[in-house]
Amino acid sequence: MTFFSIENLSISFGGLRALEDIQFDLQQGEIYSIIGPNGAGKTTLFNCINGIYRPDRGSIRFEHRELVGLKPDRIAKLGIARTFQNIELFNNMNCMENIMLGRHIFIKTGILRGGLMWGRKSFAGREESAHRRKVEEIIDLLDLQAARNQLVGGLPYGTQKLVELGRALALEPKLLLLDEPCAGMNSEEKQDMIFWIKDIQDELGITILLIEHDMQMVMDISDRILVINFGKTITEGTPEQVQKHPEVLKAYLGEEEDIDHVA
Amino acid sequence: MDMKREYFEDVRIFTSGAVLFWFVVLIIGLVAIPRVLPNYYVYMANYMAINVIVAIGLNLLVGFTGQISLGHAGFFAIGAYGTVVLMSLAGFPFLLALAVAALIAAIFGFLIGFPALRLEGPYLTIATLGFGLTITLVIGKIELFGGRNGLHTPPLTVFGWHLESDKDFYYLLIPITVLLAWFARNLIRTKVGRAFVAIRDADVAAETMGVNLAYYKTLSFAVSAFYTGVAGGLYAFVLRFIEPELFSLVMSITFLAYIVVGGLGSIMGSITGACLISWLDLQLRNILSIPYLGEWLKSLSQNYFSITGVSNIQYIVLGLIIILIMIFEPLGLYGIWIRTKKYWMTWPF
Amino acid sequence: MLDFFQMILSGIAVGSSYALMALAMVIIYKTSEVVNFAQGEMALASSYFTFMLLTSYGFSFIAAFISAYLFALLLGAVLEFAILRRAKEPNLLGLIIITIGMEFMLLGFVSWKFGADQQIFPFPISPYDSISIGGAFFSMLELISLVIAIFIMVLLFFFFRYSKLGMAMKATQQNPVAARIMGIRTKRIMMLTWGISSMVGCTAGLLISPMLMEPFMMWDSMLKGFSSAVLGGMTSLPGAVAGAYILGIIENLFGGYVSIEFKSVVAFAIIVLILCVKPSGLFARHYVKKL
Repeated sequence: MTFFSIENLSISFGGLRALEDIQFDLQQGEIYSIIGPNGAGKTTLFNCINGIYRPDRGSIRFEHRELVGLKPDRIAKLGIARTFQNIELFNNMNCMENIMLGRHIFIKTGILRGGLMWGRKSFAGREESAHRRKVEEIIDLLDLQAARNQLVGGLPYGTQKLVELGRALALEPKLLLLDEPCAGMNSEEKQDMIFWIKDIQDELGITILLIEHDMQMVMDISDRILVINFGKTITEGTPEQVQKHPEVLKAYLGEEEDIDHVA
Repeated sequence: MDMKREYFEDVRIFTSGAVLFWFVVLIIGLVAIPRVLPNYYVYMANYMAINVIVAIGLNLLVGFTGQISLGHAGFFAIGAYGTVVLMSLAGFPFLLALAVAALIAAIFGFLIGFPALRLEGPYLTIATLGFGLTITLVIGKIELFGGRNGLHTPPLTVFGWHLESDKDFYYLLIPITVLLAWFARNLIRTKVGRAFVAIRDADVAAETMGVNLAYYKTLSFAVSAFYTGVAGGLYAFVLRFIEPELFSLVMSITFLAYIVVGGLGSIMGSITGACLISWLDLQLRNILSIPYLGEWLKSLSQNYFSITGVSNIQYIVLGLIIILIMIFEPLGLYGIWIRTKKYWMTWPF
Repeated sequence: MLDFFQMILSGIAVGSSYALMALAMVIIYKTSEVVNFAQGEMALASSYFTFMLLTSYGFSFIAAFISAYLFALLLGAVLEFAILRRAKEPNLLGLIIITIGMEFMLLGFVSWKFGADQQIFPFPISPYDSISIGGAFFSMLELISLVIAIFIMVLLFFFFRYSKLGMAMKATQQNPVAARIMGIRTKRIMMLTWGISSMVGCTAGLLISPMLMEPFMMWDSMLKGFSSAVLGGMTSLPGAVAGAYILGIIENLFGGYVSIEFKSVVAFAIIVLILCVKPSGLFARHYVKKL
């Protein structure tokens, strides 16, 4: 059984082919990275998996279920969570409430039982406390204690990225999509983030699909890598294989032949 | 740094002893009002309480979910007419009629929520505005509802208790208001409220976290319409007479003014904003009887303006207050309160 | 058939005043993203100002109308400078509320000064003069409104396309920061935008005054103008005009064939239906947020 697979995925916007016949599959528990220059279609691919865009052709299967055509909230309920390239947090909620929203799909309190909440012994009160405990675990895991009661809009950029990761983890996903989790971070924050991503994979057993521009990091933590450009697959394979691919070398290390010529 | 770690702290009924103390003070004050103050003030309190209900309901939609509505007078009218017609024509008891009318308003709210799934900003404004105008016009055309002549409310009996004076009605109205305010406060602390705020702040992110956008947006409209419908049903019995002209666009705009002046996204703000503006609204109608100010206005009016008096002068003051609050404190009265609290907490440093 | 023709003509006639209000609102919305609910009352104030000059001060029509436009320009600029510019961290709703506050104040002042009763605006052409076009009647006033409305639209078109100020306005609306770097005084442009919009609205007010003159006279036109602007996409000048005529014609056809009482309601219902299909109006591109 394949855990997650994408077949012949294509989407175009007003004649522009953003993705063309993308095809890959994920093994449970691996870290799979997607790299490629800006505008290659990486985030578009995430948006297709999430159900924000509807692809023109192709299929996305997750645990034998077809995701194409499902709404984003249905896909979230199946166990796919994500973070965003440009942070998309709920700026007027504090850090704890943001992560608490990640618990949304597990909470059963509806409008009546929520509105009529009567102390901590009531159904809503008990449920809130139980999920609050889960949130505290995530806050501990990511060292967010100092930020827990602050509005996220005012937090430093790196911390906001972490809160977003925490919110995604609160969904208890089976598959986690990380869209440039280290963008704009300094090297220390980056080290921490790499550590946490590793942790999430090892300890929580969550499969991770990663978009990242930092080659060093991608080569270090990925099990397999997909390289795309202009919406098309260039190559796929382990970090070693990908590093040897001529087009990848050309894109990321400059054209060796040219350098030879100049020399 | 606040290191509170008890998981149940935030779900308690009263988050601290001080809150409990002030709540008791408030309840005693509310009970005492009709016994201490003359009847006019009781009428005024009734009027305020109804506007508080509307403001809370509207704030759930506009302040918390981030949808705009200029059509709430329509829901208000549905509540008012629904209650009166169900009582006088179908013989429903008051509370049942009120609940059914509010549910009808909620259904209309739910339906209005559908265009709202695709529209935003000025486009949504137009859709809701059109709804409000339509409801007023349609009600004015229905003979059963008294058409343009309006309707008188039937005598009011709740569980065998005949409510005749403003005072009697006050004791029915205030518990309902407190109950609805408490319900709204709980709502925003739990799952539904978080989903509302999430939609307002980042709708796509909310969706990818499992929040069903269509469900919660329409739900927000429905809940908001329910509150407004309840308020409308009660309003009919404060006035004892309703006519279509009451439920105009000016009313919808005034509703919006309550929550903007009070503070968007805050229950306390809704309450204070509604109280302040409805108080002003009532006071300004007889502005000329205010000592000194009234005299000055009269002479000003005779010298520079018309000699016929000061018609519609309440609009000037209302407009001025709205503008000043928006310019100097965009968070409204709630923002002023937060700032004062901060100031006194750190005083004298 | 004649009825049909007549209804179309009346639709076009009433559409002209909607179109002017719609243009006024779009001009402001385009440059500053403010939905200006005070538009109607700004026109109201200018109209009553003209009324005062004509009746109390014995101004000639030409002098009164020129003064009216100067007044409108000044009023728009002052409102922008004194009120809107002072708002801190404004959001869409906050700005709408501010304009509603301005609307209330202007309405209050006009009713205080002139009373809430209906007045007669001394206009050289009576609203009852009419001419016949192929058997259908068209009142002189409506014809003049149409001509003036078209004239203003053409003027605006050339203004935005060719004049230096118009170009500066377009630049400000597209990218305020870049415009400022290029040496455009964006704040002054904003003020002028309000002034010009106020003048366009004033035209609508002056054309409505001979038919109806009382403090609430602009409400219907303002709402319909706003609806037309929304129908046309809120940011497009030709769209607003098209929206206004579509609205006027639909309204009159429905009023003629189905029910005159529900004609405004149908206008709104149609707008909502169109918006459900095209959420950003007929002539604007739908904007999708990038993640």
